[in-house]
Amino acid sequence: MASNSNADMTVKVGLKYCGGCNPEYDRVALVKHIQDSLQGKVEFVKPESEGVRLILAVEGCSTACADLSAFQGMEIRVITNIEEGERFIKEIRKELKIFAD
Amino acid sequence: MSMMTGQQYEESLRRLNLVVYMFGKRIENVVDDPIIRPSMNAVAKTYELAHRPEHEDIMTATSHITGKKVNRFTHIHQSIEDLVKKSKMGRLLGRETGCCFQRCVGMDSLNALDMTTFDIDRKYGTEYHTRFVKYLEYVQDNDMTCCGAMTDTKGDRSLPPHKQADPDMFMHVVEEKQDGVIVRGAKAHQTGAVNSHEIIVMPTITLREPDKDYAISFALPSDTKGITYIIGRQSCDTRKLENGTMDRGNLFFGGHEALVIFDNVFVPWDRVFMFKEYDFSRQLVEQFAAYHRQSYACKVGVGDVLIGAAQTAAEYNGVEKASHIKDKVVEMNHLNETLYCGAIACASEGHKEPSGTYYVNTLLANVHKQNVTRFPYEMARLAQDIAGGLLATLPSEKDFKSDTVGKWMDKYYKGRADIPTEYRMRILRLIENLTLGTAATNYLTESMHGAGSPQAQRIMISRRVNMQEKQRAAKRLCGIE
Repeated sequence: MASNSNADMTVKVGLKYCGGCNPEYDRVALVKHIQDSLQGKVEFVKPESEGVRLILAVEGCSTACADLSAFQGMEIRVITNIEEGERFIKEIRKELKIFAD
Repeated sequence: MSMMTGQQYEESLRRLNLVVYMFGKRIENVVDDPIIRPSMNAVAKTYELAHRPEHEDIMTATSHITGKKVNRFTHIHQSIEDLVKKSKMGRLLGRETGCCFQRCVGMDSLNALDMTTFDIDRKYGTEYHTRFVKYLEYVQDNDMTCCGAMTDTKGDRSLPPHKQADPDMFMHVVEEKQDGVIVRGAKAHQTGAVNSHEIIVMPTITLREPDKDYAISFALPSDTKGITYIIGRQSCDTRKLENGTMDRGNLFFGGHEALVIFDNVFVPWDRVFMFKEYDFSRQLVEQFAAYHRQSYACKVGVGDVLIGAAQTAAEYNGVEKASHIKDKVVEMNHLNETLYCGAIACASEGHKEPSGTYYVNTLLANVHKQNVTRFPYEMARLAQDIAGGLLATLPSEKDFKSDTVGKWMDKYYKGRADIPTEYRMRILRLIENLTLGTAATNYLTESMHGAGSPQAQRIMISRRVNMQEKQRAAKRLCGIE
């Protein structure tokens, strides 16, 4: 994630789902869990919104077919299962802590 | 107008003035009729999911005409990815609704007509494709549901249209006028007909020169003067009229079919997409059929629901650990995912047509649909096997809630002690709905005959298989020159 000079600033994350044809977990519930875990630090917004710092692609399975072509040049993190969602939380926490230091 | 919400779709249907009959009576309020409404709910889901971030990647596309975001059901496939997403959309909606959501037939008609009108114009210098694209833009801008109407009533199957005792057994032009044509005939088994804003008519068989007046394709608003709808019955349909909802199995969704009669209906020229070009009738029929055979990806989604219900019934009965039950559930999954393989394969192996439209691999689409004529029946058999006979002997919700006998049902229909009897009843009713009730119309019989009966696919398979190449491969290996 690009550097953030203000640790108290909320990071805008553009949320992009795959279409969810046959997801292997509840994607919406996982996003809520991520949101709750990073409350006050991360704001999920539409991916095309202004000020988006990174795109979080929430894929229902390892096929990961969400169309990300509109986000070329942007930082994209992809999660395809619950474990990767937990890893994302840890990474963001760590990155924000680094910024705070 | 942008893409409609489910609510806006419902409101748009209320503005239609359809002539609908059921049980011998005119239905004045189609949208709120308790038998029809679940089918409207299912179509509304196609609008609702398009607005959800977690589904829009599948449910929406970018119009190649306007560049605007449109509901995928109004989209012309512009890539292999579009074709694959169409198959995935079918599974998604089948699982969301547990029934036929009716809107695929219009999408398939639009895509087939985009290709065929282009090809007719190339051969004859006509203007059908220009007309069609204008019409398509109207459909996309207004986010319409289109009923694709192909199946004529056909009369004596051994005779072509012009030799039928009654010429109206196939839709035909009865009068040509300066500003359009008058048509007469009927289309049978029309899925989602009374939930549609538009009806798109196509010929049902390959036509020859003597049948050129039957080579007609057009689109009309569904409430055009002279069009009458007669709703088809479904097994257990009147359960929707009863108090309580448990005995319906699926509380929210359903499908419907109707006989649609065109009694001397006027079609303006700008809505005519084929007339007398009988030599393109086979192409239009085959292209529509191939797309529509791909559309049976929806049954994979319904299969997901049936598998989930069968597993749940096994758990409620306390038999889920029995090896034969586990094996039957595995078999259901094997069959269901095999269907999915076909739906994805025919899309992935698609190609670009001269019109720019992407078209499925017709051999694989037909193989896929042929599997659909069989596997859901086997899956239904396995689900009934797992569920047990109570599926077909369970007394009604009224008995369950009765002050006098309800306690006996609650006691004697108990399965596992920690599961309420009512849950066991509900899951059995859902399996009944899918394999014997209203939803079996679509999960079973529609799987058999929809998009063409099994023999139609076998004919196409025999046409598309390259036998010569297979023989060459065999002969080369054993030394035959």
